Amino acid sequence: MSHWSESTQERAREIIDLYPQKRSAVMPLLYLAMAEEGHLTETGMEEVARWCEITPAQVLSVASFYTMYKRERTGKYLISCCTSISCMLLGGDEVMHAVEDESGVPHGETDEEGLLSVEHAECIGACGGAPAVQVNYELIEGVTPDKARDLVTWLKKARPVVVNTDEMQELFGGRRSFDWAIPETDGAIGPFPAFQPLGTVESEGGE
Amino acid sequence: MTSGQPEFVTITIDGREHQVLSGEMLITAAEDSGTYIPRFCWHPRMTPVGMCRVCIVEVDTGRGPALIPACMNPVSDGMVVATQSDVTKKAQEAVLEFLLANHPLDCPVCDKGGECPLQDQALSHGPGESRFVEIKRNYEKPIPISDLVLLDRERCILCDRCTRFSREISGDPLIEFFDRGNKTQVNTFPDHPFASYFSGNTVQLCPVGALTAGPYRFRARPWDLLKVVSSSLFDTAHPRIEVHASQNEIVRYTGVDNDATNHGWLSDKARFGFEYIHSEDRLGAPLVRRKGVYEATDWAEAIDVAADRLGLIRDESGGDALAVIGGAHGTNEDAYALSKFARVALGTNNVDCRLGDSLSSHFLAGTVDRATIGQLDDADTILVWGPDLKEEHPTLYLRVRRAAQELGAELVVVHPRATGLDDVAFRKLTYRPGEGFDLVQALDDGRYPDVIEALDADNVVALIGIASHADGPHVAEAVAALVRARRGRSDLLPLNSRANTYGALDMGLAPDLLPGRVGVSQEGVGRLRDHWGEVPSVPGRDTAGILEGLISGEIRGLLLVGADPVRDFPIPALAEEALEAAEWVVAIDLFITDSTRHAEVILPAETFTEKEGTVTNVEGRVQKLNNIRPGPGQTRPDWAMLDDLAHRIGAPLGLSSAEAISKEISTVAPAYVGVSWDLLEWEARDGVVVPLEGESQLAHIPVAVATDGKRENGLSLHVARTMYDDGVRLRHSPSLSRLALGPVVLVNPLDATALDAVPGDSLRLVTVSGEGRFEMVVDEGTPAGTVYVPFNQPGATALGIDSAVEAEVADA
Ligand code: SF4
Ligand code: FES
Ligand code: FES
Repeated sequence: MSHWSESTQERAREIIDLYPQKRSAVMPLLYLAMAEEGHLTETGMEEVARWCEITPAQVLSVASFYTMYKRERTGKYLISCCTSISCMLLGGDEVMHAVEDESGVPHGETDEEGLLSVEHAECIGACGGAPAVQVNYELIEGVTPDKARDLVTWLKKARPVVVNTDEMQELFGGRRSFDWAIPETDGAIGPFPAFQPLGTVESEGGE
Repeated sequence: MTSGQPEFVTITIDGREHQVLSGEMLITAAEDSGTYIPRFCWHPRMTPVGMCRVCIVEVDTGRGPALIPACMNPVSDGMVVATQSDVTKKAQEAVLEFLLANHPLDCPVCDKGGECPLQDQALSHGPGESRFVEIKRNYEKPIPISDLVLLDRERCILCDRCTRFSREISGDPLIEFFDRGNKTQVNTFPDHPFASYFSGNTVQLCPVGALTAGPYRFRARPWDLLKVVSSSLFDTAHPRIEVHASQNEIVRYTGVDNDATNHGWLSDKARFGFEYIHSEDRLGAPLVRRKGVYEATDWAEAIDVAADRLGLIRDESGGDALAVIGGAHGTNEDAYALSKFARVALGTNNVDCRLGDSLSSHFLAGTVDRATIGQLDDADTILVWGPDLKEEHPTLYLRVRRAAQELGAELVVVHPRATGLDDVAFRKLTYRPGEGFDLVQALDDGRYPDVIEALDADNVVALIGIASHADGPHVAEAVAALVRARRGRSDLLPLNSRANTYGALDMGLAPDLLPGRVGVSQEGVGRLRDHWGEVPSVPGRDTAGILEGLISGEIRGLLLVGADPVRDFPIPALAEEALEAAEWVVAIDLFITDSTRHAEVILPAETFTEKEGTVTNVEGRVQKLNNIRPGPGQTRPDWAMLDDLAHRIGAPLGLSSAEAISKEISTVAPAYVGVSWDLLEWEARDGVVVPLEGESQLAHIPVAVATDGKRENGLSLHVARTMYDDGVRLRHSPSLSRLALGPVVLVNPLDATALDAVPGDSLRLVTVSGEGRFEMVVDEGTPAGTVYVPFNQPGATALGIDSAVEAEVADA
């Protein structure tokens, strides 16, 4: 007896079929559970446990390790500011403070409206373009505190349906680590984007 | 295991050369050579994980010295190990300093204090002081993670022992590491408590005081405890335990690691089943009923009253008018005394330690191709056709799980519904209760070729018992025949509930058995003549026959020994009627029970912590039990009361002590020749499997096939035992009695829909022998068409053994 929609269940079946053992599907299924309810709930994790034939405790053990599994409701836009070593040396903390200050949302929290969530992130793999920021996991490199404020204001005002790296890099970014060559057209919709390859989130902007 | 000689390599530990087994982990190789390397996470019965790092030592394998964890690295030839070097010491001290960085150091108020590996190794291998000034982690302390276990996360050093145990050994990983990283903690998922039948093992495993047991918390300090090794009588494998007492009160049992049976593990029932010993309801004086009420009296009077009437009945109506039920919960010595008492003093073979739910006595006691528990480790195929081992035979459950999960045995499980082993079984067959025999035939006819192929392996161990009350003993024998007829070598473990059934049967507590696996016959009786004199040589009645005899009046007097047929016999109403009808009932028991309250005289017995003796487990292993406290009040061992009763009846048994009885057993019981307390106390502390020599001569008498008649439609009733029920000892153990399920019926979702019932509804179940109301639990593990009612639950009505059942939603 599943709490999930028929299409989510269908997707779950497809994902599980990819693995020789059901339990191996725990991570993609967690994204499904997240997409189903907007964040990861206890019911969602129990559901994943049933699908993977493991205990809810084992599911939570995985889910609580990764910061990208959100166990609390997140805003439409999730702003992640890198504060690991490279970014920190080039002013990541200041960028982080600017974002917190401009949005009024401290680390780990979401504004009342449900629009913005702010978090600091460990290295997001863009050290060459430090300091780096992500919105819904779409990357912007070479961000300054001022640009970060602009970013927050833009998100509040423009409220784009889809955020996309190229556009945001153009508007708020600085020096890039290298040219990523393949321009991204799809971008990501909030709150849990970036996993289109697994089909866990439908793209709205693509068609 | 590869065949041939074990290979040895030479390693140097602290300047001395040692020959050690190749492939062995350094930590064990060092220990076997006399060098102790500290450890927290490493445990000999679990996979090494290298979590705690305290076993780190300086090792040179030819590429220069390096620090490596001794628990994760196998020895290699020429390895040079320095466990005392400055580098090693500094490393170990640093590890301990880190492990203590968050530890609250609240040893004075910690149960583990005094037997704590962290405390001990902080002293022996730690730096003595800490440079940490930071604030330690703070958690709510302690939180209950199950009904029996509490967790104090501040003390935890994250060794992964408890979590590993639940994952690897017991197979119910309900505790896990959460928030891995700087804030790693052990915990349960919200609203999914650590409801494992084996949760108590984690308390014993935990190398710090993070996990503590409710029933023991703050009851004693370890250095004040008196300890004695014994075996648990809550499990047919008789897992070895240490009984710990403080001021004559039993405060806990701990598991003792031994290869033969339990590997140190215990079910929670075996671990925490001690509270009944100190129950206020325990009998401390003989009781005699006068004008309808029990009055405490002295032994002399109680024996006279009890014996005189038994003697009278014997003189008036002969021994066939007397009967004995019980004896499966005590020692072999007491069982022997009871067996001798029945034959010699009462002159009857109407004696049975089984309660109508068992396999045939000849199958249980006389199976010559009996497997040992250890054989499970080498089996190619294991067949479990019988009770859910997790519920009824927890030690066997763990051993079978290990064999299937770790040692590569192919496991076939046959049971009417889901069992605890299904997840490691390569094939699981379910059948409708009562139709087990049809399934055997279907297998024989080749319906399940994969199962037959598995049974054709070289080395098969089959654990066979009664899976459901609706299945007669003939099903088990048909399964045995099926297994024996296959190609390879097969060994059987016939299963039975009640912990010392095997010992009791070996002592002759069955209508057709005499001590030592000898059948009741002219020849068998003749062999005993020197010790027993003239005793009846035709088989008597089993428990069902005795109860019928009591109702018809053919049997007038009954001796009940630690048996509670009114709760425990599959058709309790019959037992109740029989005891009601009995002219004279004498009971030997710890408590007044639904059965013993029919007795005119109740004699107060001792528990296994209060007397010495031996017991025989499911594989025929005889082990020694040891006493640690005196029994309360005027309690005495059974044999002493029986000797007195016999004396008064005029047929003395000549019993003088438990040890003397054990000598008599080894003289008269062929299967027990050579077994002595000396042997068990000194040479074979883990016991010996009998017979030590030769084979049992018991001829197998197959039981008649009772046809159940296949039912095409309607629901089938599955009744089976669970770990926690309303048994006498559990009822008087508050920590465990509240874990019983109560009156519930488990129903498949499809059947629930068909019945128009929702979870929590009360269902009325009606069978030929009873009816009652049960709370419905929707359960996917119970196949559609079958409803499952756990046996003997507090507040539940018994429904008998017939599988036909009518169900409907009861009006509120
Ligand atoms: S609770 Fe005890 S056994 Fe479990 S991880 Fe912590 S220290 Fe180890
Ligand atoms: S440190 Fe910020 S991206 Fe690597
Ligand atoms: S004992 Fe070796 S790492 Fe813990």
